Amino acid sequence: MRTTAEPSRAGGRPHSDPEPEPDPSPSPDAGRKARRKESGVRPIGRPIWLLGPGVLWLLVFGLAPLLFMLMMSFWTSTIFGTSPDFQFGNYARVIVTELYRDQLFKTLRIAFMTTAMTLVISYPVAYLLSRLQGMRKALFVLMMFLPFWTSYVIRAFVWLPILGRNGAINNTLLALGIIDQPLDWLLFNEGAVFLGLVYVYTLFMTLPIYLSLEKIDPALIEAATDLGARPAAVFRRVILPLSWPGVLSGCIMVFLLSVSAFVTPQLLGGASGIMYGNVIASQFLANNNWAFGSALSLTLVAIVLVLLLVSSRWIGVQHVFTGGRDS
Amino acid sequence: MAGPSTASRGAVAGEKRAAPRPRRPYGAYRTALWIYAGLFYAFLYGPLLMIVFLSFNQSEIVGFPFTGFTTHWYGVVFESPALVKALGNSLGVGILAAGIATSLALALAMGFRHPFRGKTIVLYLILVPIIIPGIIGGIVLLIFFGYSGVRSSLYTTVLVAHVNWVLPFAFLTLYPRLHGFDRALEEAAMDLGAPPWKIFTRIVFPIVRPGVLATLLFSFSLSFDEFIRTIFVTGFDRTIPVQFWGLIVDELAPQLPAMAVLIIVISIFSSLIGFVFMGRAARRAATWSGSARRRPERAFATR
Repeated sequence: MRTTAEPSRAGGRPHSDPEPEPDPSPSPDAGRKARRKESGVRPIGRPIWLLGPGVLWLLVFGLAPLLFMLMMSFWTSTIFGTSPDFQFGNYARVIVTELYRDQLFKTLRIAFMTTAMTLVISYPVAYLLSRLQGMRKALFVLMMFLPFWTSYVIRAFVWLPILGRNGAINNTLLALGIIDQPLDWLLFNEGAVFLGLVYVYTLFMTLPIYLSLEKIDPALIEAATDLGARPAAVFRRVILPLSWPGVLSGCIMVFLLSVSAFVTPQLLGGASGIMYGNVIASQFLANNNWAFGSALSLTLVAIVLVLLLVSSRWIGVQHVFTGGRDS
Repeated sequence: MAGPSTASRGAVAGEKRAAPRPRRPYGAYRTALWIYAGLFYAFLYGPLLMIVFLSFNQSEIVGFPFTGFTTHWYGVVFESPALVKALGNSLGVGILAAGIATSLALALAMGFRHPFRGKTIVLYLILVPIIIPGIIGGIVLLIFFGYSGVRSSLYTTVLVAHVNWVLPFAFLTLYPRLHGFDRALEEAAMDLGAPPWKIFTRIVFPIVRPGVLATLLFSFSLSFDEFIRTIFVTGFDRTIPVQFWGLIVDELAPQLPAMAVLIIVISIFSSLIGFVFMGRAARRAATWSGSARRRPERAFATR
């Protein structure tokens, strides 16, 4: 995985910027370059004391637990507890058992569909927002954020009184006389999970796309138009390629979040809509099979890492989490 | 999640952009786009407005029909000792987690101004908690603390889980603030013989203060809403989202909509204040940053 700003910069700004600005993204090379240019004086503080506490925290509470889980995934869990008997059986079971394999494929499918759906619904809105000006833009962008400033538990929960037996949809249909029995198939299935995930994670797609569209220099669009490009061509040849880093960042975020979803499938999925996250959680909350649960967990982590590794060809990891912006 | 900061930048950028924009010859496209945006916002807000509506429903069932207006359920929420305790827990852990994460992130961001070996590795280390899926971030702590003999409680395991979760975002928000600004003042103070701590308290910190305040508020908001990591290490000290989850899973309690509305109000309120500070931080950074020096118009464009 590359961390330098180059990958996203290459995608994000093909037009050359005549004035190089210091890049405020945490990229080592860019940082050094900018500093050399600005001054020869060292910033205040000793690096060891500044970095020490944070690095120590992350090593102890971030990395160590993860490595411990890696170790445990080779242990053996029985009804008497988990013991350090080294074996590969847990991973074999993850791969061979049809139940877990099917759950994994189903989860990947749902995550993929969620990503595609959020992309389709987000792009036009992001485009419109990027074209707005002044107060109106500030207002609409703020309105896009507001619903996402609250817990996803609540955002998933709100669908229960919409899709449920006593929900808004059933109630409306009953009142209109279209049905005379409440529909039961609206909730507790894969479709409800899909809808819930799209609702819960849309912002993570809309925001990075908006930010990348926002950065496009209007002069480029004007130039293309002046040179006789039709709107469709301007969109396809100028706007779409320049928004690619945002699209990529949004897709990665939404995929990562929905592939590891737990809350939404637990609330809206019922028996048929559970996902990998629920399978993992049950190993720890119900079955007490920590060793096997660790193997399942790390399978999910591996998928996430592979995805980031592949995408690091185009976008630096930290840029994924800052909405694909490179400046 | 890192978003609010970026939106304020967007908004600021929107205000200062004076460049001519393309003609708009495509009226039909625009109308279609606006209708589409209307549907999008309806999709975002419809369910939330419905929850506000349902929170005033007399019915014992979470749902329809609407049997009559009441504020009874808000009373139930405030009178329930478990909920009040959960609110206290959430506020306490949120404030502490925000404080710890922001301090660590500020120090890290200041460290990142220095050249040092292994910068990329440290950056990956900082990003680990947000790269790892949330559910696994909770489970690893459950295992780790379970085996180290630490009992799950609010100010041990939950606090660690929250700081882990918040720290990367705090760093990603603070780093550009510290990296962007003009170091001429700092150098001047150094030349005049000011000791480092004085340079920090009199120059560096005042410049980044709005950014720090914004980071604190966003961190609090992230912590306040955190659920998936908390649920695995919560022990008996429930936070608000965990309490809320319990009420859904156990019984679909009738006060849930009222409680949801209150949580929404608290989260949005703290984020909104953070948003305002972020806008101020961005303006201040523009004033003090190197780009402002090279492009003087930028320093005034957003006033």
